[in-house]
Amino acid sequence: MNTHDSHETIFPADPRITAYAFGELEGDELALIEAAVQADPALQAAVAELHGFADTLSLTLLREPLPPVDAQPLPEQPDLPIAAGKGIGGILTKLSSFYYLAGGLAAAGFAVLIAVRTESDRSAKPAHEAPAIMELVDGPAANAVAAKKTEAPTTTVGGKDAGLATVHFDAKLAKQASESSAARERRDADYLSVQKVVETDKVNASNRLIEVERPVAPAMAPPPPMPVQASSGSGLGAGKAGGTARAVRSQVVADGFLMAPSAQPSFSDTPAYEPGSESYDHPADNSYHSVEAEPLSTFSIDVDTASYANVRRFLTGGRLPPRDAVRIEELVNYFPYRYAPPAMTAKNPVPFAAHLEVASAPWAPAHRLVRIGIKGREFTTATRPAANLVFLLDVSGSMNSANKLPLVKESLRLLVERLRPDDHVAIVTYAGSSGLALPPTLASSKSEILAALDNLNASGSTNGAMGIRLAYDIAKAGFVTGGINRVILCTDGDFNVGVTNREELVDLITEKAKSRVFLSVFGFGMGNLKDATLESLADKGNGAYGYIDTRREAEKVFVEQAEGTLATIAKDVKIQVEFNPARVQAYRLIGYENRMLKKEDFNNDAVDAGEIGAGHTVTALYEIVPVGVDDDEAVRPAVDALKYQKTEPVAPKPKANDSPELLTVKIRYKAPEGDVSAKQEFPLIDTGMKFEKASGEFRFASAVAAWGMLLRDSPHKGSATFDQVLNWAEDGLGDDDGGYRAEFIQLVRRSAELK
Amino acid sequence: MNPEDAHENPGDFVPSAVAAHQASLQRYATRLLGGDTDRARDVVQDTFVKLMAQPRADVEGHLAEWLFTVCRHRALDVLRKEGRMKRFSEGEAERVTAAEPRPGRALEASETHAALLRLIGCLPVNQQEVIRLKFQNGFSYKEISRITEHSVTNVGFLIHTAVQRLKAEFAAQQP
Repeated sequence: MNTHDSHETIFPADPRITAYAFGELEGDELALIEAAVQADPALQAAVAELHGFADTLSLTLLREPLPPVDAQPLPEQPDLPIAAGKGIGGILTKLSSFYYLAGGLAAAGFAVLIAVRTESDRSAKPAHEAPAIMELVDGPAANAVAAKKTEAPTTTVGGKDAGLATVHFDAKLAKQASESSAARERRDADYLSVQKVVETDKVNASNRLIEVERPVAPAMAPPPPMPVQASSGSGLGAGKAGGTARAVRSQVVADGFLMAPSAQPSFSDTPAYEPGSESYDHPADNSYHSVEAEPLSTFSIDVDTASYANVRRFLTGGRLPPRDAVRIEELVNYFPYRYAPPAMTAKNPVPFAAHLEVASAPWAPAHRLVRIGIKGREFTTATRPAANLVFLLDVSGSMNSANKLPLVKESLRLLVERLRPDDHVAIVTYAGSSGLALPPTLASSKSEILAALDNLNASGSTNGAMGIRLAYDIAKAGFVTGGINRVILCTDGDFNVGVTNREELVDLITEKAKSRVFLSVFGFGMGNLKDATLESLADKGNGAYGYIDTRREAEKVFVEQAEGTLATIAKDVKIQVEFNPARVQAYRLIGYENRMLKKEDFNNDAVDAGEIGAGHTVTALYEIVPVGVDDDEAVRPAVDALKYQKTEPVAPKPKANDSPELLTVKIRYKAPEGDVSAKQEFPLIDTGMKFEKASGEFRFASAVAAWGMLLRDSPHKGSATFDQVLNWAEDGLGDDDGGYRAEFIQLVRRSAELK
Repeated sequence: MNPEDAHENPGDFVPSAVAAHQASLQRYATRLLGGDTDRARDVVQDTFVKLMAQPRADVEGHLAEWLFTVCRHRALDVLRKEGRMKRFSEGEAERVTAAEPRPGRALEASETHAALLRLIGCLPVNQQEVIRLKFQNGFSYKEISRITEHSVTNVGFLIHTAVQRLKAEFAAQQP
């Protein structure tokens, strides 16, 4: 292709125009065609027409009925080297309409076999095929048969370790067949760990099949078992020791195995919770780092707040949240803090201001607690840039409950009311089919937008990938330079058609994020929320993840904080803290477990990080062990110094400095459409302030963090108790604009009752 | 059996692949095989058997593409073996029932869809195939090129030609 010839005439019927419209061009060719399209209204029209026709084609072809597949067996016994030596345990093998799951087998004879009858139980075949599976199980067939007999509504669960996993099936959940890859991976991990644990515990080889009884009513349900605190390291085999303590209370345990953690709540017939298949990642709490070994701590900011709303849902439903649903940084960042916005001087406009504060840590008075508070520049509806929004709405069957699609519609109605007449809105739906429910429409035609919203209803399965592609195509077609270009995805996250693999979805989003269209992800509903999938989508899509469970929450996100939800003021915001070894022995960052970066990533602009919206605040807390505190668990060496051998220090200790500074916070960020980062630095000097004297904002944030540690049963929770959390939070209540902090206090009370 | 073996068990990811792709593969194979659903079922089954033997790392990230490629090879093998290439070239008669009615628009929409499906059914087979892979299965030109062994340029040309023709014929049919 001759790229020098910028005067080459390109006609609308050029195949490259077609390829361009479908997002298939790259490199020079893309640049050439893009320039031609920008310059020629006829080409723009052709591209728009192709977009529209592609939508029609997708819609039509996606409506072609899929063949029924539930009658198709997988090969009975694969004629492949796969099974024989390696063991097929853990493979879900589909025999006609039965799913058998054979897992966990060891020489000692631990076998778990779960049979689930799917809805369309038409085949008479499996009866004689079942033994084929049994043969694959090393354990006594009796156990397997016993397991198979326990059918729904009783749920049979297999062994469990420190990780978060469950083997849980329910006859009423045909959906389970298409579990997310996250859940699948977790099951794989579980399978692995089951084996490990079994090997270490051969004595009690019997009685490993436990029936979890259905509670009669949600109010009477025992608190769900919390996943055990993962020990550091691989976590394998840690389950036995850690599991026992809680196991007694949760009563779903045998022989020290903790069963069925609430990532997939076992009480699946309990109406208030819907059959559960929620999945969460399970990072361990950040631990202490020695300043001598690691003077730098680097992480990406996170303004997501989904975890708080999700935790609230659990608590108001009368259950403690699963440990891994609690992300402390998201709890802390849920609340608006009164940090002053940056001074807007015309000469040097910075997108945000940082406010540092240090006082004693209330749960460990010898420790210091450092708060890093960042406040983004504020916009009003009038001062923000024009918006090009594409609502990407999940209208699949799973959205068909009151707190899902109806709440989505209500939320978006609220948002539409907040838009300016020059904003554009398009609506893309996805279910088994994906389609354009509303072409890009000026917000001044409000009634059209609202009518399109009203017309949506839920049915079919969820093909997220197709919808995502279409939404980004439309957002790109209407791209407003310098404006807000954003896809707003509303879903319960249960992608079960097309690309369902989390990595593939994330790859797709990563690819689409290069288009400079931002993504906001809002999770709705309960029961099969795929929390981890949604968070990683938002993360890769340059966007935020929120969880909407009530109209109240919708108002917070779409009305009170509408500008922050829409307008990004800086992206790839990273924080690096350098600690002064003359003042600090060890530190740990509270929360942000899945946002940690390598120290080199800070200056590497290619590394993606969090975004910050207009007026948003971000708060991060470090717990610090100051120099001079000895005999503290946090600074105790893993191994004592040798008595009979002299060990030379590998590197000479850095010379003590006399800087009064405790630490320096460095913040790197890019403009929303920029590629090169800028840096700001903020040093902090510790004045020895006591917690009681700290600002209300500081005390409130500390209370939220402590509450998160209690809910996670963090090893670092120190002396914190729910009562103390209440006191700290009440002290830090302030004027509580919006009543969020008062609600927090209610939730703390609730959690104290449930604990 | 040691846990490492179990962890590397090649088949572990198969069940979710089956759940996710079985139906769309079945549809693809059925079409390639001229509507023979039984044979299509065999082909899809063979595809998953092959997948079970595959190290996960080899297919991760492009699982759908891998499945469609293998499925296509299997289907063409079957056709070749049975000398039925001719049936493959006949367009399939399309009968569409509106699977997901949207009140108010259902009738009009299903008529539109049926009309467009008929037009697609009249396209040359190679164009039908790439159009479906693109708009039904969501593959990119590059992925389609690897699945069908046409060059990327060729895929682009086939899709362009098909889209232009469909667009014109479809517009001519609209009132």
